[in-house]
Formats: sequence, C-alpha cells, structure tokens
Amino acid sequence: MKWLLSFVVLAIVAVVRAASFTGNRLLVVLDEQAEREKYSVFLEDLAARGFHTTVDSPKGDKVALFKHDERTYDHVLLLPAKSKGLGPALTANNLLEFVKKDGNLLVALSSEQATPTAVQSLLLELDISIPNNKGALVVDHFNYDSDSASEKHDVLLLPYPAALRSGLKNYFGGEGYIAVPRAVGQVLGNDSPLLSPILRAPSTAYSYDSKDEAEAVEDPFAVGQQLSLVSAMQAHNSARLTVLGSAELLQNRWFAEKAKLGDKAVTTANRDFAAKLSAWTFKETGVLKVGKVVHYQDEGASKKVNASIPESNPTIYRVKSDVHYQVEISEYSNDHLIPFVPAANDNIQLEFSMLSPFHRLNLSPISQTANSTIFGVAFKTPDQHGIFNFRVNYRRPFVTNIDEKRQVTVRHFAHDEWPRSWQISGAWVWIGGIWVTVAGWLAFIAVWLYSAPAEKSVKKTQ
Amino acid sequence: MKFSFGLVSSLLLSGAPIAYAAAWSFEDATVSIASKGAGVGGASKDKLSATTPLAKTVSLGATDSLKLDLTTVDGKTAKRPHQAFLTLTDPTSGLEESFVLSVKDSGKGKVSLVGITSNCTGTINNSQTQKDLPHQFLTASKPIPASIVIGAFGSSTPYKHKVFDLTVTRGANVPLAIPEAPLRYAPEAEIHHIFREDPKSPPKIITIVFAAAVAAALPILLGLWATLGANVSHLSKALGAAPVSHALFYGSIIAMEGVFFLYYTSWNLFQTLPAAGLVGVVAFLSGSRALSEVQERRLAGLR
Repeated sequence: MKWLLSFVVLAIVAVVRAASFTGNRLLVVLDEQAEREKYSVFLEDLAARGFHTTVDSPKGDKVALFKHDERTYDHVLLLPAKSKGLGPALTANNLLEFVKKDGNLLVALSSEQATPTAVQSLLLELDISIPNNKGALVVDHFNYDSDSASEKHDVLLLPYPAALRSGLKNYFGGEGYIAVPRAVGQVLGNDSPLLSPILRAPSTAYSYDSKDEAEAVEDPFAVGQQLSLVSAMQAHNSARLTVLGSAELLQNRWFAEKAKLGDKAVTTANRDFAAKLSAWTFKETGVLKVGKVVHYQDEGASKKVNASIPESNPTIYRVKSDVHYQVEISEYSNDHLIPFVPAANDNIQLEFSMLSPFHRLNLSPISQTANSTIFGVAFKTPDQHGIFNFRVNYRRPFVTNIDEKRQVTVRHFAHDEWPRSWQISGAWVWIGGIWVTVAGWLAFIAVWLYSAPAEKSVKKTQ
Repeated sequence: MKFSFGLVSSLLLSGAPIAYAAAWSFEDATVSIASKGAGVGGASKDKLSATTPLAKTVSLGATDSLKLDLTTVDGKTAKRPHQAFLTLTDPTSGLEESFVLSVKDSGKGKVSLVGITSNCTGTINNSQTQKDLPHQFLTASKPIPASIVIGAFGSSTPYKHKVFDLTVTRGANVPLAIPEAPLRYAPEAEIHHIFREDPKSPPKIITIVFAAAVAAALPILLGLWATLGANVSHLSKALGAAPVSHALFYGSIIAMEGVFFLYYTSWNLFQTLPAAGLVGVVAFLSGSRALSEVQERRLAGLR
C-alpha cells in the first residue's frame, strides 16, 4: 500500500514539475470574470501544462505581486482591462520590480480597449513604443482574413515567424497561419539588444488611428516590417516580458477558426502559437542550464566530464601550457532537459581573459549525454602571468543568458622549467669558455706545483 | 440558419469580383528629379507605367529632389485610397522605408523626396526634409527598388508593384553621419593570443666555429707554456717527499671542479655546500703540507 502511495505522490510531483523551469505559480489578471470564458481554452492549456493559475481582477484586494518582498507568483499574464488604471498592486514600478526579481510577464494589448497607463509607462521604460490612443490598429490590405474582415482588413493572417536572423534558434516556428485580429503594433527601440520582435507585420501593413484617419492614412504610426505584432524583452537576469499586440489572438474564438487568405481557405493555428508563445515567456523553452565545467592541463591523457565527481579544477597554470576546457550545457524543453545544440552559424565562445580577453575561442561539441551537450576547446595559455578567467558569456535573443566564470592563476616559468643552457646552441661558446678555463686552471696548478726549473731561462733571469 | 448564412456569404464573396471587378492602380504617373538651381525646366521627367517598371534607373543626386505625381484609380475611376505608399527596399539588408503619398479626393497624389543636402526648397506638400532617406539608402551600392503600394478597405484588389530603380549619389564633400551599429547579441570574432617570439640562437655553424676557437685556445696555451719551459718533471720528487698531501691536495682541487660540475648539472645548493666544505677542508689541510714541500724545494734551489 505504501509503495502505491509513494508512486502516486511521485506521479503528482512529476505532473507538478512538468511546467516551467522556474516555477508554476501563474497570475492571470482579468477585468471581468465573464472575460475569462473567452480565454478558457488557453487557460486550460496552461493548467494542463502544470501551471497553478490564479485568476484575479486588477481591482481585487488579494492581488499582490509581492509578499514580504518575495514574489508571490512566478509568472503574470496581463490581459486587457476596461479601466485605464490597473490599481495600486499593478503599477509600472511593481511590474518592473517583478521582472527584476526574475518574474516573467506576458502583456496582451487590445486596440478596442485603451492600454492602461501602468502598461504604457512599463513599455516606455523598456523602449517599446505603442500608439497612445485607443483605436489604433494594424491593417494590411494584402494579408487579411476575407471571411471575418472582408471590409475592414484588420484581421491579419500571417505565417509563423522565421528565425529572427541567421544564427538564432526559432522557438515560434510552425506550419500554418496565425490570425492576428485588431492588433496594436509596437515599435522597438533600436539601441537595446534585449528587445527582439517575435512576429513582425508584413511589409504592406501599417498602423493607423481608426478614429482620426478613417478616410486615408496620412501619418501612420509605423509601417511594414518595422511594426512588430508580438515582441519580446529578455532582461539581463533572463526574466522575460512578452508584448502581444492582439489579446484576441488568445481567445477560444480564434484557436481553430476557418479563415480565408485571398482565395485560400486556411485554419488558424493560434492555439499552437499561443502555446509556443506562453511556453517561451514562462520559461518552458529556451532555458539554458550549465552543468559541470572542467578544465585541466594537457598531459597526454584526456579527461572526461564525469557527472559523479564534484568539480575539482586546478587553480594555477603556467604560462604557455596546453589547457583543455569543457562545459556541459543543457536546454530545458517543455518538461525535461535535452542536449543544447546551437543554431547553425552560432557558436558558444570561451574567453580566457584578464580585464580583456586574450583568447576568444569557439567551443565545439565534443560529446552528448542524455540531457546535455559537452562543449570543449583546447588552447595554450598566453605568455602573460596574472589572474585569468575562463569565461563563457553566451547571450542570444530568445535563450537565457549564460555567464560562467572560473578564475585561475597563470604563473610564469619556475627557475627549473626553463631549458638548460646546453640546450641553447648560442650558449655553447660561453660554456666552452668556462670549461677551457677550468682545464687551464688545473694545468696551471700542476705546472706551478711540479715544474722543474728550465736551465736556460734560469740563466737568463739571473 | 448558419448554413444558409455561410452560403449567402460565400455567394456574396464569389460574386464580389464580378460585382466590383475592381483593382487599385494608378495613372498619369511621373517621377521627376529636380536639381537645385536648375530652374523649372531643368527637371528630368519620366513617365511611369503601372504594369512594367521603368527601364532606366532614376538617379537622385546630393542636391536633387525627387517628386512623384500620380492619380490613383480604382478600376477606371479616380479615387482616393486609404493607403498610398512609395516603398523603398534596400536589396542587401531588406530594410524598408515607406513614404506616404498625399492623395486628394480626386485621386491625385504626390510625394517628394529630397536629396541629402537640400535645404528643403522643392518640398511644398510634405513635411519630409533632408532626413528623408535613412543612411542605409545613401550608402547602398546597388540600385534601390522603389515600389508603389495602393490599398483600401473593401474588396478591391490592392496594388503593389516595383515601378523604378533608384540610385542615390552623394556629393563627395558631403559628410555623412553613419551612426554606430547598435549592439546585437551574436558570436564575436575569435581572438587568438599572439605570443611573443621565442628567443633565437644564431646559426649553429657560427656557434660551432667560435666554440672550436675557444676550445683551441687550451692546446695553444699549453703549447706556449711548453715552449717557455713549463713541465711537470718534479712530480715524482714531490710525491716521494709528501705523497699523501700532494695526492690529496691536487685531488681536492679536481674534486672541487667536480662539485661545480654537479652543481651545474643536477645538484642544488644544499647538496653543493657541504660537499664543497668537505673538499675545502681537505684542500686546506693537505695544501699546507704540500705547499711546505714546495717551499722546501724552492729553498733547495730546485724551482
């Protein structure tokens, strides 16, 4: 009986664990409970993936992101609210503080409701601009759903996004079309490397104010691919914030809707895209974990990363010695760790640095275990002594940051590690000189001690 | 009910192309390049066609301004569309920039772009000034395709076609401020430490020649001494007088050199010092006897 019980407990634990890498407490902020029905499939999907969802109104008394200065939730899903304010618990400052404390945030906007000021200033802080007034939305006269928006062209039908650029993994790819109804377009600041678009608008789309510019667009908010429909910010602490331009995208209604792109009938794949988007935001995908770091001096035999032995790396190396470095990296994928494989054209790099890198080398995969890839490289320590770092600083959009440092001392040659003088051909003349002097000295002593007087010279001197 | 609604709507949709048969396009389009100071007649004008792009490349100089005039039509009738853009696409980077045409209700639309340095002379209808073009376009090496996008709500087919190629030439004396590329996370260039060169020895043949010269000095020295009458003839006499002292003294001197040799090759200082001390004491004790014997020979007039 006991074993059965423990089995059940284990199974529950397994179910509970099968969620985000960082935690499964999710707060869904909704204005009205009636709204909840519209998102029920999405919320059920989240619950099925192991999230403990708490649905609350922004005005509710219980809503608090922090308790005793600790996060009360791991993730927050902010759905559009009717009111302009989000209440005292969800100020821009609180939301930012939440992200600073490693909380993840999915902000859904809607063009039919004014964006709350808290969200506006939050996005402003992150250098994401959105149109200020209610009713600004993205239209495209080329890629719209001609079933539901034959007149207004405001339901965009877009293929899944491709990788942002070469060398990046695509966590949002798939087959099919995503319906993006009445989206609020975002423009991302160009200076921040933390911002990246997930889903861009097609090049013929534009964002206009449906109230002021009903006749013809004269000063669009943004145009074409510079307009982002879904964008992401991954902070330095790897906390994630996703801005979804169209909250309607998450509604049951669009999850598997028959739509028509031009004359082609398609079924929207919003359910899959919403799952991918929330999985990424809530750290179910794209999370990297560093296992063991091993470095050692090359003495002929290669050492292997051994999981059972704790890290015991040398703390000191000599200049110009051959060193091997290995690091174990896994990627969290939905509910388990898998070996991390970087995208083509991408490299994890090792820096051997004292203030600035002396070496920056691409790590290559050496072997794989069941849930990690071991990357390694061999190099020669520079001819400069000092305190150095083995540093792997891997930052890419859409995967969590790795910054792994191991400090070692690099000493110079000890007095008995230099080549001996006879090994240096240029010294042979001087060595010869010394031994000729030694031999001459011995001969001189022998002559001085044992020489008999030469007859002639004695005569001469006297 | 639902079915019939779907039927009706599909009927409506299928009927739509017949009913409206409309497609957006444009007519009477000209693109003109006006040079600054060239006057009204100095502008070069080209007629644009909605179906085929212009064969020749339109060149926009540093002080020129580009002006595009057209009439948008929906089917046959001139009409104002909701969207009328002139879109430039950088062929290498894929960067797009759209300029909004200001279209009147009659469908007449125009947009003008100014070259790089113009002080906004030709732009009456638009607020776009010298910052019209992003720097990527100013430095583009290939011609930039320019297309016109016309679209509006409703069922009319939108229009998007390439209409001409644009080359942007920059005055040589015009400084161009290209902002620094913003930071993006990507693999950086590899760095391989450049080691200082190893110390080098001269060619071995030279070393051997000079080492041979040094070694040759010893026989030459001994030979010279021999010609001066140096010899070891009194060795037997000395050994006869004080055999132990002489053997130990000369032996200790050789042993001291041996200690130095071992120190050079393998010993450390703590092995060397006791050995040297021992040899030194032997040399001192035996030396005093041996040198007394030498003194005796000197006093006997044998040196």
